[in-house]
Amino acid sequence: MALKALWRRMTPLDRMLLCGLLGFALLLCVLVFRLPGGSRLVVERDDRIIYRAPLDRDRRMRLAGPLGETLAVIENGTVRVLASPCRHKVCIGMGRISRSGEWLACVPNHLLLRIEGGRSSAEDGYDLISR
Amino acid sequence: MKSSTLSDSILLRVPTLLRSGCVLLCLLLFLLPAACRQSDPPPLQRTELLMGTVVEITLLQSGPKAEAALRDAFAEMRRIEQLMSPQLPTSDLARLAAVPRGAEVSAETLALLRRSIELNHLSGGAFDPTLGRVKRLWDIEGDKPHVATAAELRKALRQCGVDKLRIEGNRVIKLAPKLEIDFGGIAKGYAVDRAGAVLRRAGIRHASINAGGDLLLIGDRRGRPWRIGVQDPRKPGAVLAVIAAADEAVVTSGDYERFFEVDGVRYHHLFDPATGRPSRRSRSVTVVASDAATADALATAAFILGPEAGSRLLRQQGVEGILIGADGTPLVTPGLKDRVTWR
Repeated sequence: MALKALWRRMTPLDRMLLCGLLGFALLLCVLVFRLPGGSRLVVERDDRIIYRAPLDRDRRMRLAGPLGETLAVIENGTVRVLASPCRHKVCIGMGRISRSGEWLACVPNHLLLRIEGGRSSAEDGYDLISR
Repeated sequence: MKSSTLSDSILLRVPTLLRSGCVLLCLLLFLLPAACRQSDPPPLQRTELLMGTVVEITLLQSGPKAEAALRDAFAEMRRIEQLMSPQLPTSDLARLAAVPRGAEVSAETLALLRRSIELNHLSGGAFDPTLGRVKRLWDIEGDKPHVATAAELRKALRQCGVDKLRIEGNRVIKLAPKLEIDFGGIAKGYAVDRAGAVLRRAGIRHASINAGGDLLLIGDRRGRPWRIGVQDPRKPGAVLAVIAAADEAVVTSGDYERFFEVDGVRYHHLFDPATGRPSRRSRSVTVVASDAATADALATAAFILGPEAGSRLLRQQGVEGILIGADGTPLVTPGLKDRVTWR
């Protein structure tokens, strides 16, 4: 009853303001709880972040390490190493990564490429992978 | 009458009150998600390149105590690397390899050597910490990997075998001058165990240590088991099965991590001590054990032995595992069947 009385006494502008704010707050809640954050690639060398890039735009990256340049690409939301000056090319063989927490590493060239934000392996039913 | 006047007065001020109320309400709703999220403290995670792989430690708690524990755990792993990496010239293993007769080593290296010799006996020789010469010959992790000839292998195998080692006090005596100890099948697991001990001592109750897929889990994952994906040995990035695990180690040895191919034949890094050649009996073996060093060594041994003999070894040692045969057929030890979900 009290709410009805309040509603009646509100001006149209008050009502619009109330509905707008409530709607916006609810939308924010949904976004925070349901939707993943934007995925991004983070590249580290010797414990320092040397590069960051969102995964939603394709690009090629030349990442400098002690052995030379490692060439990595972002394409269709995935990351892979295309070329590397290291001996075994294990980093190339690691394939593509796309989920939060996944990583590629070129140990000889001191490079670590990992994905932050977005869809994680936990959503695929596992927390860690043994390989 | 007095009460009615007060009520009317409040109602007259409704628009103003509502505006303020709305703003406050929305502020509360803004803060609600953050408040809810903070009920579960964010994990503390750090990744480093160590021991030739990526090491990631995740603590499911935060704060200065957790941060100090994380730093100490990495420092402990770096210490083990300095002690046991054959690539570092000052390590115990490099010093021992460089001399023909033998050398004194640290008590810790000695203890791991004793454990390795014990695992060698328990596995009927399948786990062998003395294959350094064979590994060097194939050079799978080196500049020019090549397919070793029978003559080269015969010569290298003469410099291998735990029977060519003797321990006297802190001294390791080599009965074959070019014998090289290689802890490749156990050191990473040992380092993970040591880091786990550091975390436990610091009071960390829920954490994971992941050294290139060698996992140690401390406690559960806040009220539920950790879900450990087992790599599909023939589909990079794909998961074959998920194991529910808590407060234990999960380690996999597979033929897909380090290898080279010649004429369509895959030559990988898990050598059969009997032949000096890559073992062809398995694609991968995942072992679940109470400690990572044992899991590491037994995964290697079971891989060399193949699924049938390998699963017998795992059962004898009271550990569990998933063994994928050379044809891709999986074999699961009885104690693990209820904890595995196939994908």
